[in-house]
Amino acid sequence: MDYAASEPGVAEVTPAMALKILIAGGFGVGKTTMVGTISEIRPLHTEELLSERGVGVDDTSGVELKTTTTVALDFGRITIREGLWLYLFGTPGQDRFWFMWDELAVGALGAVVLADTRRLQECFPAVDYFEQRGLPFVVAVNCFDGARRHDPVKVRRALGLDGVAPIVLCDVRNRESVKDVLATLVTYAVGGPFNDPLPPTPTPSHSHASPT
Amino acid sequence: MTGEDPGPLVRLFGLTGGRARPLGESFDLVAIVTTVSTSFPPSDLIPEHLAVLSVCRRPTPVADVAAHLKLPLNITRVILGDLRREGLVTIDRPQPAAQAIDERIYREVLHGLRRL
Repeated sequence: MDYAASEPGVAEVTPAMALKILIAGGFGVGKTTMVGTISEIRPLHTEELLSERGVGVDDTSGVELKTTTTVALDFGRITIREGLWLYLFGTPGQDRFWFMWDELAVGALGAVVLADTRRLQECFPAVDYFEQRGLPFVVAVNCFDGARRHDPVKVRRALGLDGVAPIVLCDVRNRESVKDVLATLVTYAVGGPFNDPLPPTPTPSHSHASPT
Repeated sequence: MTGEDPGPLVRLFGLTGGRARPLGESFDLVAIVTTVSTSFPPSDLIPEHLAVLSVCRRPTPVADVAAHLKLPLNITRVILGDLRREGLVTIDRPQPAAQAIDERIYREVLHGLRRL
């Protein structure tokens, strides 16, 4: 009769927590579909309102956003239990909204980079971005109806991945398939079987500096 | 839907007194908002404020609050910043995922995904 591990009230004390997963990839690759397939709610579409001040972006085209504009942001939710949620954010496709990625990426558990092998180059920016940020990501190759099955090894080579990030084939319309992708990401992100044996750089990892 | 019509934007910024940024410490899209229980909330609250207080009786992430209100995220954040300043809600900074994900949470998430 040992109930030591389940003292009454413990569950209530656990603070509510929401985890973020980013869904990135080129336009039309299936980000919103993926969110919709797995989300328990219809993907919520919200529009972020940007003012001049809100735009701190290096825009290589030299075009400055002088006016107020909106950027659509789709997100879905998975309730793991009361007080523990997984949020999926479809990242804005346009490059000029990179600064929004910065905000989305802070504290995120990881990212799914959706790839369409017919337009593989469109996911390069996302791969580069997450590599630079050191955010764990998986590449999910969306196998559309009729699209040929692709060899993950070839995709890995084409993307120039260093062999660490998992590459999975998926069908974003299929719930089981999307579950697999997310489970792969979660496992990878917490240092599961895909853990990189080589630490990147010997930077101190014990800084608890609070974000600004 | 074209983004050309300034009308809604003017209305939305009206909700925030023209401000695009929330007061005080910034907070994340998935920071948890919780209504502080008070017997008498101020009577001069606008409907959006009252809606937040109602929704956040159960701890609710910022993004969900925005969805409930059907308002853009940064407008929602200004509103939340105001309510926090008034002491009507608390906004918990989420832990960085790398630290938050201990073994137990990780297992819960994986099991939760498989259960779907």
